Amino acid sequence: MKGPIYLNEKTGVVVIGATGREASQVIRESEALYPGIIKAGVTPGKGGSTELPVPIFDTLAQAIQDPKVGKSINTALIYVPPVSVLDAVMECLDGGIKVLYVITEHVPIRDSEIIFQEKVRRNAVIVGGTSLGCFVPSVGRIGAIGGKDPSIAFKAGGLVIISKSGGLTVTTAEMFKRRGWGTYCALAIGGDIISNTTYADVLKELKDDPNVKGVVMLGEPGGSYEEQAAELIQAGGFNKPVAAFISGRFQERMPEGVAFGHAGAIVERGMGKASDKIARLEAAGKKHPVKVAFYYHELLSAIESLGVPRDFEDSTTDLVKPLYSTIG
Amino acid sequence: MKLYEHEALESIYKKYKIPAPRFVFATEPNDKVREFIDKEPAVVIKSMVLVGKRGKAGAVKVVSDKSQALDVFKDLASREVYGEKAIGALVEEKLDIKKEFYLSVTYSTKDRAPAIIFSEHGGMDVEEISPELIHTHVIRDVRSVYPYQIRNFLVGINFSDPDLLRPLSELIVSVFQAFWQTEARLLEINPLVVAQVGDKKKLVAADAVVLLDDDASVSPAVRFGARGGMGRPLTQREQDAILIDQGDHRGKAGSYVELDGDVALMTFGGGGSTVTAETAIEAGLRIANLTDIGGNPPAEKMYKIARIILSKPGLKAVLVCGGTASNTRIDVTLGEGLAKALDDMKAEGKLDPNLVWVVRRSGPEYVKGLRMLHECFVRNGIRGEIYDSQLPITEAPLRLRELMVKHIGYKPEVVA
Repeated sequence: MKGPIYLNEKTGVVVIGATGREASQVIRESEALYPGIIKAGVTPGKGGSTELPVPIFDTLAQAIQDPKVGKSINTALIYVPPVSVLDAVMECLDGGIKVLYVITEHVPIRDSEIIFQEKVRRNAVIVGGTSLGCFVPSVGRIGAIGGKDPSIAFKAGGLVIISKSGGLTVTTAEMFKRRGWGTYCALAIGGDIISNTTYADVLKELKDDPNVKGVVMLGEPGGSYEEQAAELIQAGGFNKPVAAFISGRFQERMPEGVAFGHAGAIVERGMGKASDKIARLEAAGKKHPVKVAFYYHELLSAIESLGVPRDFEDSTTDLVKPLYSTIG
Repeated sequence: MKLYEHEALESIYKKYKIPAPRFVFATEPNDKVREFIDKEPAVVIKSMVLVGKRGKAGAVKVVSDKSQALDVFKDLASREVYGEKAIGALVEEKLDIKKEFYLSVTYSTKDRAPAIIFSEHGGMDVEEISPELIHTHVIRDVRSVYPYQIRNFLVGINFSDPDLLRPLSELIVSVFQAFWQTEARLLEINPLVVAQVGDKKKLVAADAVVLLDDDASVSPAVRFGARGGMGRPLTQREQDAILIDQGDHRGKAGSYVELDGDVALMTFGGGGSTVTAETAIEAGLRIANLTDIGGNPPAEKMYKIARIILSKPGLKAVLVCGGTASNTRIDVTLGEGLAKALDDMKAEGKLDPNLVWVVRRSGPEYVKGLRMLHECFVRNGIRGEIYDSQLPITEAPLRLRELMVKHIGYKPEVVA
């Protein structure tokens, strides 16, 4: 099978909250770029609408029972307002869907916790909340990741990019592409406190996938998900090269409790600091192929020094000039 | 969002029947305070601030001499604690304390579940309690939480007072329910005291630290009024920024924090914002404000936050910086929202022509958006450079520093 569990050639997506502003834009763009991955949309009250390139249903049950598209649906992409996310997730889990993406930001933590506990009970994969989706250049994409023209940032290769920040996922893919490394799978896992898919979850899932040549991990202060990845590597649970960058060291000079960036990025009670995460990853790097970049752009040299082979030629230009200048 | 102790007592402890000392809160020594002090043999007076470690700052006082109580109240109700001005003071009955426990409920990211944290050695900072004396009980099924489970946990950690097993286990479940139902991310009681009342031992929550989820189904800013996490009241601009996102979940533009510097950061995306701010600080730029704009906000939101960012006095430069957006439209945010803010501020005579700008952005419609912004720069005489993703994101702050040094003689901070 081509592609990891998160997105592969068998993936068939139903979009929940399909006719909203963001979701309808994503459906149009994605179907133009990678036709056939999205099978249907659901918005209560909009069933039968033909405004989008996929059939729209009032309920998920109707979509699943539809003779044309029903059988091909196995993945959900959720784009509903924060207070409706729990309902949408339960609709999908009860409908038998096993891979879900929650794109919505600001999901109440309590709802996230209920979702996580249900996910564990039902053995499902949920990415998010606050995910931007997944990009697998050899297959296509789920969600808005990469925008209208993903070719700017994505080209097939051997890197797995895992990031709490969606924007940084794409920015990173682009930075590597300019220097000769392509992407196997980019996954924006979101920065929520209760994260349904963590770095360690992804590493465990992909540890035996021969397509993976190296991993780029982008972390942030808050929580312990980066530390958990370090522990997994330390324990021998993942053996391929990992380059990591942990942002937010500057927050350690700010008062505790100042939330900046993602919801999970709140430095609480002396736990989850960027420096703690860096130390844990560096410790794992003593025996395992792990490197932590001090500056973000040093991820490039980290991947190079870990021996991850380039997928194509380095296309760097020597001097970057501004597009426009109004200053002498 | 953090609650003041009296807010937690009034709105949470009462509702969930968490036993607390008798108390009165006031901003000034009024009749209620006088009556309360008259009735109690001795009182504890606490400054109402959001910052922690009040005791060490002398902002919690036990007063046995009643003639002094009102003076102490006046002092504590209006003093500054670690730079934060008190909004009033809380007066509580003085308890006859026999023992002090530590109890909190928070989310453990290790278990991805709520966790009850308990120690028989409370009263001091949790960081100072030796780790082997702190015990954690993880709630793996939030649908069924019963006192018997807590008793099993307490017996398992060799809890020393069997008489308290039942009342403590019931109290802990109440505290968990308060945490869960009010959508808190932290509820901490330190100390949870064993007090002597007549010939009986009684559990009393002698403190309340409550952090509510900012994304709760009912926004805590609506329930309790907006406040900052900076240990100071929000500035007018910070309050104005919060209003941008209220009642409109299309994108996010209202996350705005002010610092003392002179470089405005108009940054996009949680990750992109953090990386940019970090590099700017490493580069010695003094940051005036931080924003975290994302999720494809409409032009109106961008217009509002841009005006707020640029209205901070004393600015010397502006960095507009974000990675390669997937969803946020660059023509809408920069080409329309920001450009209109600049046009209007220029027309109103509110735009400083000496500001130095660096813009670095990519994403949907960025060619159009950056061109529109450039046209806006030209018609308003704004000085700066505009880049797309050819320039690595972390080099944008370095480029701004170069321009500032060259054109306005800026002296960057030397960062250790």
